[in-house]
Amino acid sequence: MRYATRTSILLIISVVVIALSLSYAFLSLGSVIRVKVSTTTSLYATGLADYLASSFNSVYPEARVEFVAVGTGAALKLAERGDVCAVLIHEPSLEKQYIDKGVIRDRKIFAYNYFVIVGPAEDPASISNSSNLVEAFKKIYHAGEESRTLFVSRGDNSGTHFRELSVWRLASLSVEGARWYLDCGCGMSEALIMTNELGAYTLSDVGTYLKLKDSGRLGRLRILYENREDNLTINLYSAYVVEGCGGLEKKYAELFVNFIYENQRELIGSFGVNEYGRPLFYPAKDEEQIVQELWNVIASGLR
Amino acid sequence: MLTAETLNTVLRSIYVSGAATLISLTWSIPASYYLALRGRSRILETIVETLVGMPTVLLGLLLYFILSSSGPLAPLKLLYTPQAIIIGESILVTPLIISASYRLLRSTIRKFSELALSLGASKTQTMLLVLRETTSGITASAIMGFSRAIGELGVAMMVGGNISGHTRVLTTAIALGVARGEFEEAVFLGIILLIMTITITVALKYLSKAYEEWYA
Repeated sequence: MRYATRTSILLIISVVVIALSLSYAFLSLGSVIRVKVSTTTSLYATGLADYLASSFNSVYPEARVEFVAVGTGAALKLAERGDVCAVLIHEPSLEKQYIDKGVIRDRKIFAYNYFVIVGPAEDPASISNSSNLVEAFKKIYHAGEESRTLFVSRGDNSGTHFRELSVWRLASLSVEGARWYLDCGCGMSEALIMTNELGAYTLSDVGTYLKLKDSGRLGRLRILYENREDNLTINLYSAYVVEGCGGLEKKYAELFVNFIYENQRELIGSFGVNEYGRPLFYPAKDEEQIVQELWNVIASGLR
Repeated sequence: MLTAETLNTVLRSIYVSGAATLISLTWSIPASYYLALRGRSRILETIVETLVGMPTVLLGLLLYFILSSSGPLAPLKLLYTPQAIIIGESILVTPLIISASYRLLRSTIRKFSELALSLGASKTQTMLLVLRETTSGITASAIMGFSRAIGELGVAMMVGGNISGHTRVLTTAIALGVARGEFEEAVFLGIILLIMTITITVALKYLSKAYEEWYA
């Protein structure tokens, strides 16, 4: 008898649990149109991606934009496999490859900001008076070879990683396997935290750095090289619709890409100004011509 | 696909997880022997069994706070070193090894200790007898610990930092493969991880069985 009661209680519990989880699964499927978008970690970590999604949602309440935050390389791989319907990325040379392959189309450059070199306030490699990014990297290289400093590399095929590799290439320096060159294979936030822990240098987009600095996680770090005249430091964010997806999701992916492109002045220019005292991103529309030209220069491999 | 770096990562994984398991054994086995001698304690059993399922990211996070440059153990400069992963994983597998070996030790002690003591064996001799009788069971618990350690991601990622050529292990390399969009590489590493775990488990099982037969 006792055994039978126990069994029936167990049965009831499991039925309830299964019913609850099934109903949750169905409710969350619901009637909302889910638009899956892969985005770079910098857009996600700064909160801009979610801000864009919620602004879009207030105009199109029937759709919900969902982000997969990965490096640019992975974002494009997801697009190629048809797992996402739009991409927000920042590595023109890689974007060009995927445009040529027919994976993505309709480039919309919607924002830009700058890459900066951050490092310990003492600046052991004295890069702060460098006149360009290549010179700053050369100084870090020499300081590294003399064991005076470390450099943290993203190593994750992200846009920032690609840019860093281009600069080493332009400086004709080989860093592969150097003891001072730490390839962490991680996102921007993790790389910045590691850089802070080790008192090292790293190349960062200014947005993620400011965001993390503001939260008090980067006590030792300062921006040591920032130069808006240096075209090598410009960081262009583009939105694309993925060719391989279809149906309603594609329609809303197109709407989303157009929405952020058309409304960039209002959405992007003011984002983060209250919290960080300066914008994290700039709308690309004001300098459309220059931005397009720069995109082409970077896409053809930065010579 | 099997580059020098991959091989390096595989060897580092074995070294880190193996060291973590061995270090953990030095306190886990005495602890479970002591618990087994003390007799049954439901509270302790429950605590240990709950800790078996401890989320690795949580342990990684706690260790990160302790080892980071603003943490209490900052002067040791252990953050982002293989040693930090070893420490973390040795803590991680402790409850698993204890709970796996404790029951076996308890039943063996019940079976043999009174007999041995009545036949005039000393406490040390009794302990050696019990340990010899349970060798294969303890080996099995060590294998479980090793498998858990080599398959965990949270600790290795947070306190190791996945630095290439320094703290990159199989699981962090797989996570990186996915983050980079190199899915083939990730799958390849995953298969290596699986084959390795199986091989080591089978080999150790075979060895401990051979040992038992030889001893009997």
